Amino acid sequence: MVTYFLKKLGYGFLVIFGVIVVVFFIFHALPGDPTKMIAGPRATPETIAIIKKDLGLDKPLSTQFAYYLNDLSVISVHEDTPKNQLDYGYLKLFSISNSAFVVKTPYLRKSYYRNKRIDEMLFERVSATLVLSITAMLFATFFGVILGIICALKQNSFLDHTLVSISVLGISTPSFVAAIFIALVFGYYLSEYTGLDMTGSLWVLSAIDGKQLALKNIILPALTLGLRPLAIITQLTRSSMIEELCKDYVRTAKAKGLPQHIVIFKHTLKNAINPVVTAISNWLATLIAGAFFVEYVFSWKGLGWLTIESVQKLDLPVVMGATLVVAVIFVFITLVVDLLYALLDPRVRA
Amino acid sequence: MSNNPNLIEINNLSVIFDGENGQHKAVKNINLKLKKGETVGIVGESGSGKTVTSLSMMRLLPNPPYCNTEGEILFNSRQYGEVNLLQLPFDKLRQLRGNEISMIFQEPMTSLNPVFTCGNQVVESIIRHQETTIKSAKARVLHLFEKVHLSNPERIYNAYPHEISGGQKQRVMIAMALACNPLLLIADEPTTALDVTVQAAILEILRELRETEDMSVVFITHDLGVVAEFADRIIVMYQGQIVEEGAVWDIFSNPQHPYTKGLLACRPRLDLKLRVLPVVSDFMATDEHGNISEITEAKFQSVGQALMLNFQSDAELRKHHERLIQQTPLLQIKNLSKEFIKKKGIFSSKKETVRAVNDVSFDVYPGEILGLVGESGCGKSTLGRSLLRLIEPTSGEVIFEGKNILQLSQKEMRAIRKDMQIVFQDPYGSLNPRMTIGEIIMEPMRIHSIMNNEKERRAYVIELLETVNLNAYHFNRYPHEFSGGQRQRICIARALALQPKFIICDESVSALDVSVQAQVLNLLNELKAKFNLTYIFISHDLAVVKFIADRILVMKEGQIVEMGFSEDIYDKPKRAYTRQLIEAIPRGDLDTIRRIMLKRKLQKTS
Repeated sequence: MVTYFLKKLGYGFLVIFGVIVVVFFIFHALPGDPTKMIAGPRATPETIAIIKKDLGLDKPLSTQFAYYLNDLSVISVHEDTPKNQLDYGYLKLFSISNSAFVVKTPYLRKSYYRNKRIDEMLFERVSATLVLSITAMLFATFFGVILGIICALKQNSFLDHTLVSISVLGISTPSFVAAIFIALVFGYYLSEYTGLDMTGSLWVLSAIDGKQLALKNIILPALTLGLRPLAIITQLTRSSMIEELCKDYVRTAKAKGLPQHIVIFKHTLKNAINPVVTAISNWLATLIAGAFFVEYVFSWKGLGWLTIESVQKLDLPVVMGATLVVAVIFVFITLVVDLLYALLDPRVRA
Repeated sequence: MSNNPNLIEINNLSVIFDGENGQHKAVKNINLKLKKGETVGIVGESGSGKTVTSLSMMRLLPNPPYCNTEGEILFNSRQYGEVNLLQLPFDKLRQLRGNEISMIFQEPMTSLNPVFTCGNQVVESIIRHQETTIKSAKARVLHLFEKVHLSNPERIYNAYPHEISGGQKQRVMIAMALACNPLLLIADEPTTALDVTVQAAILEILRELRETEDMSVVFITHDLGVVAEFADRIIVMYQGQIVEEGAVWDIFSNPQHPYTKGLLACRPRLDLKLRVLPVVSDFMATDEHGNISEITEAKFQSVGQALMLNFQSDAELRKHHERLIQQTPLLQIKNLSKEFIKKKGIFSSKKETVRAVNDVSFDVYPGEILGLVGESGCGKSTLGRSLLRLIEPTSGEVIFEGKNILQLSQKEMRAIRKDMQIVFQDPYGSLNPRMTIGEIIMEPMRIHSIMNNEKERRAYVIELLETVNLNAYHFNRYPHEFSGGQRQRICIARALALQPKFIICDESVSALDVSVQAQVLNLLNELKAKFNLTYIFISHDLAVVKFIADRILVMKEGQIVEMGFSEDIYDKPKRAYTRQLIEAIPRGDLDTIRRIMLKRKLQKTS
């Protein structure tokens, strides 16, 4: 079990390293020069050269990459100056001449435009996106599994056919269509009854109370975001349950005289849930990276919003940072899911 | 408790399935009585309604409207007195299931839940029906595991089903069934999926337990030989009806119904070498309404006659054997080995080598049937597949008609595959469900350009279908429309389509009923004579191998234990392992039955 976990963890680090390489070279090889964007259309070549030097963009790509890796690494080498101390917030281990070996949290650099650490910028956005996606997935998983079980137990009944048809509709509706529709119906026409707004973020800034948590704003975007996973989880649970319910061990469980809820929830569901877990994890990861449309429609200040903005401005450190954070979340979710598999099914542990 | 001396009494039971193709009556007006402590065997081929009958006693059949039951099943319950199981409300029924009536199923591999430990699954049953602590339930389970002769009960208790063997799983199933001291145990083909030696052990356990636990047993099987030594009474079912019922002795010594006669005759025997196995259709005919009539002017008037008229004498056999081994071998296998490497852990470089086939050498002569026997896991299938390079052997030589096929290139190998074919065990899994029978048989012919054009191929496929006793109109049908026996014949036709010289039959009849098995075995024999074929016949069933093979190779743990002519192996086995295998075969002859009946009587009176 421990070796299984370590193996998965090792793969996880490899994936993250791969992402760093790909992200770095893709964004640096892209056409467009960030220095020109920063300096503006009327800048002289001298100004551009100065900005370039300042951002470290004048060095060869391989050197830049080495510096970037050094910045990301937990244990790294830096010139021991007060400015660096302030930027990196490191803990010095020992120094040789004027270089210091240090421990620090990974440093994602600063935005080209704002003198702000990127991890600070991302943290706020990531937490908003995470809260939104996880809420959406909890909603989708809970109802999806329940509906799927109901369909499987009442296979070929009117209820089953109705739910399957609705779920097909759910799968085929693009999220931006659903988003506009839901925002309009529940946040506008019915807002008197629902008490919900068309747009809003997790944190609301108001002049009197300052920053405030606005949980009710999550309902509509989470509902929208959860619709497709809900439909897919329903169908997956349904087919998986139908398959498992025909298996011999279910008959054994019934022959033992177990009550129906134990036969279904303990014996069958535990076997049927594997493909559903895969779907849940994939969807959660997809939502985190791709909730852009929904965030846009509901003005939800999340990660997707920030990423698009930064790509347009060629704010490379932000784009790379955002991509990396998503990659790390991806890997983390996969790791958790792999552990979950092993927990659910002893045959995986070997 | 009422005064009814019967533990269970089935009156006029009918089970009707409502499918897309209309209604199908799986069980027709069955009456059955079972006394306390009695064992009754229900025998019949697949589709005869024996399993449906047993499932209806547990009410485990699908719900209406898909399935309707009529009649009544009276059961003398410990808790509720006499009840009609078919009318009992579900909550009461669940109190009986697993508690007073329990069941063992055919497939131990799939009947246990793969995600819970074996111990957990048995404990669950005890906790459900008895007010007890987990601790004492665990003690009971360990005790039960000892009773079913599981060595190291603690390990099995914590093991998951995939970590133990088939025989061990079936013992866990038995322990689970016995957990709450049931009054009635229903065993549905409990040994069919197991090796003969394991089967013998399981039967011994059941025999022992029904005495100590004082249970009644309903034992369902397609093989008369298995129940002969186990049951008090036998019920023979055919097409949903009971066609014959009586004490074991009577059924075996004086069968009345033609179907019973056929069943008795079609079992391959150990004592005589028959030319052709009798089949059920030698004894009876069914018309299109399902009415059975006895064939009176038949080839064989009785079971005895069926055997006496067509066995081969010793002199005949000797002559045949001598002629065989004087030829140059068609296939020579020299020091063949196949190793599988299992890695131990991820970071350790330690590797474990498993030798599935270990330095095996033997010859196969043209026109011979070489039987390959051994328990599951002995490497017989791996050996068979290595010969065709379906698995790449690690070392050794396979010389087919003078060429070492292990050194051939992919292309040359493909050409030579035409001459070497294989028929697999599972007739359900080895036919592509999306292709018609005709397409399935024609595909290899096209690849190897047999015949000049499609028209000729088509004609040949139809000829082949007729050779394997199917019809031309089956050409455009799909596999799911056929029964197991028919599918296996389609697989044989596909192998024959390439006009091979050599066929490997890998457990090709193991999944079939005894009566169907007899037909397929006869077919294989006929085809051998007709097309001048050579077979390697892999099987765990020694009686079948004895019937069909000229020579036998006994394998154990990847090595050849013994090799020789079938008669010699059976009459004078040299190795203890071979003897053990032979002794485990259920005999089903009258002497054995008499001995066992006497023993049981003595036990009961003492």
